[in-house]
Order: sequence, then structure tokens, then C-alpha cells
Amino acid sequence: MTAPPRTGARSLGASLLDAVLAETLDPAYAQAAAARAAGSPRPSRWRAGLLVAVTMVAAGLLFSVTYDQAAAGAQGREEVREALISDIERESAASDDLAAELEDLTQEVSSTRDELLTATTVGQRALDELARAERGAGAVRVTGPGLLVTLANADPDADDDPVGGTTTEDPRGRVRDGDLQLVVNALWAAGAEAVSINGQRLGPTTAIRFAGEAVLVDFKPVTNPYEVSAIGDPQTLTSEFLGSPEVSALAVISETYGLRFDFAQEDELTLPPASTPELRVAVPEGADETPPGPDPTPGG
Amino acid sequence: MIPILGLAAGVLLGLLFDPTVPLWLQPYLPIAVVAALDAVFGGFRARLDGIFDAKVFVISFVSNVVVAALIVFLGDQLGVGAQLSTAVVVVLGIRIFGNAAAIRRHVFRA
Repeated sequence: MTAPPRTGARSLGASLLDAVLAETLDPAYAQAAAARAAGSPRPSRWRAGLLVAVTMVAAGLLFSVTYDQAAAGAQGREEVREALISDIERESAASDDLAAELEDLTQEVSSTRDELLTATTVGQRALDELARAERGAGAVRVTGPGLLVTLANADPDADDDPVGGTTTEDPRGRVRDGDLQLVVNALWAAGAEAVSINGQRLGPTTAIRFAGEAVLVDFKPVTNPYEVSAIGDPQTLTSEFLGSPEVSALAVISETYGLRFDFAQEDELTLPPASTPELRVAVPEGADETPPGPDPTPGG
Repeated sequence: MIPILGLAAGVLLGLLFDPTVPLWLQPYLPIAVVAALDAVFGGFRARLDGIFDAKVFVISFVSNVVVAALIVFLGDQLGVGAQLSTAVVVVLGIRIFGNAAAIRRHVFRA
């Protein structure tokens, strides 16, 4: 490609650029100067000074008002944001307190129950059954070796424009509820005895869902990165987990969109109990043994 | 001297009285500021060049501000407000740079 000839008609774009780059000063000034030189009357110095002063006052006003607006806007947003954050923190703390209180009370109830039931053989049998049901429902804390699977959102692109405006995150680079469901299901299938996501234990009825941009586990939000802990024999878990076709598909997808997908065998994992199941069926002592309504489901 | 005093007075007035701007006008303020800057730099350079003219300055200031705001308003109506804002800022930015360079040559002789 050769350079365009200097002479002759230039393209519209080039001449436009020339005009913009060369004529930085309004040509009207030169014209006015030429007219003055030709002898046209010029306004009095006093009037000219006043005109300029008024215009400059207007310019100053414009600058400061715009600055004020921008500053007030940023400050207002910051204030609202901070108020919301403190609200969230306060309410989370209150909810944590209540959860701790609930756990204490549950502990008290179960220890009292154990005390009463261990006294009789029938009670002992009921207690054994209860313990089995509780393990199944994920209602007790468990510790043991297992597999730790980490899923994380893709890092923002390095070539994202950091100047002016927020970086747009590729929605495909986000971990979705479906990805977590897939991992969890593969872990159950691989023989996991207990599974938790970011410290939220999964019971039999725990849902993993998507609300807006947050993943909810048991209706409580969990955030990136997502650490899925599964208790079971690490060797079997790893081989079975990696052998499942869904996990291979997920690994390929993670590779493509830059998601982080790691796993590690852990010697000791501690999983907290799942949220206390609500009591659905209760029969008063001495009443008919068969409960009314549908069959009681463990873990409710 | 008078122009600089005027500018300072305007800034002070704005900061002291903190006038409220109607909501519909607020999106056009930043672009109006860029246009005003262009006019002010142009006027300063013309003064250094010795061809300053009050009438030209006032008219270029007012028309710059109004036209810049109008272009952005039109762009907003057509759904290309952001792109037109960028266009206005680019063109005015180039002019501001050019005038600033000319002022620099005048002031520092370099």
C-alpha cells in the first residue's frame, strides 16, 4: 500500500482530521482581527472587558457546579452503599446470634433426650435409630478424610479496559448453580458420605439455587470461590469423581471459559451440621403409634 | 486580569451558593464544561496571539456550550448519546490540547 498523494482531492476523513488537528483556534478570531485591521469599528474597551468578565463568571460557575454535582453524586452513592453494607452486616450478625442460640438449645434438647432415653432398652433402641436418621439427614457434625473441590469464577480479562467505567464481566465466566449441582451430584454418586459448600452442609432437602448473581445453598448465599468438601474415602472419591462424564464435561467448560476448577485430597475435613430440620410430625406419648397424614420424612 | 478574576468569582459563587441544577440538565453539564474549557483556552490563546476579540469569545463560548449539549441531547434521543459524547470530547479534547500547546509555546518560548 502506498501513501496517498499529497496533491489532489483527499478523502473526507483525512481532510476532516486535518481540519480538526490544524485549526485548533477558532478562525473567527483571525477574521475579527482582519476586520479590525481593515478599519471596522471596535467596541469600547470597557464593554469588551465586561462581556469577557461575565462570560468567565459563567464559565467558573459551570465548572464549580459540575464539580459539585459529580462530587455529590459519588458521595451520595458511597453513603447509600455504606449504609446498606452496615445494614447487611447488622442483620447477618443478628441472624448468626439466633443460629448460635438455636444450636445451643438444640444441643440442650438432644442431651436431655439422650439422658432420658438411655434409661430404658426401648429408649436405647429408639436412640440408635435416631442417630442413624440424624446421620442420614446431615444433622450432626462429621469429621474425616475426603475431597475438596474448588470452583471459582474466571478472572477478569487482562485486556479489559481499566480506564473509564467498570470492567464488564463475562457472564459465561461465572460459576452457576448448575455447575455446583453437577459437582455435588457427582460427589454423591462417587460415594461421598457428607457434602458441604463453603461450610453450608447439604442435607437431603437442601437446594442449590441461583438468585440474581448469587448462588444460594439452603437459601443462604455463598460466594466465590466455592469450596465443595466431601467426606469419604479420598482414593475412591477421586477416581469415581473424575471418572464421571459430567465432571469431564465441566472440566472442559472450565478450561474454555477460564473458570477455576481444582480438587485436592484432604486428610481431615470437618463439616458442620445442616440447618436444623423443622419438626413436621409429632405424636403425643401414649397415643396411637401410627402418625396421621403422610409418612414422616427424615430431615424434613 | 479581569477574565481570571471573573473565573475565580464564578467558581467561588458556585461553591458558596451551591445552586441546584434541574435534573434534566444534569447529564449535559460535563460535556458543557469541556466545551467551555475549549472556548476559554481558545480565547486565552487568541489573546497571546494578539488577536483576541471579546465578541468572538462570548459567541464562541455560548455556542460551544449550547451546541455540545445539544449534540449530546440529540444523541440521547437517538440512542447514541454515549458515542456522540465521546465524539464531542475527542474533537474538543484535540482542540484543547492544540491550544494548550500554542499557549505553552507563547509562555515558555518552547
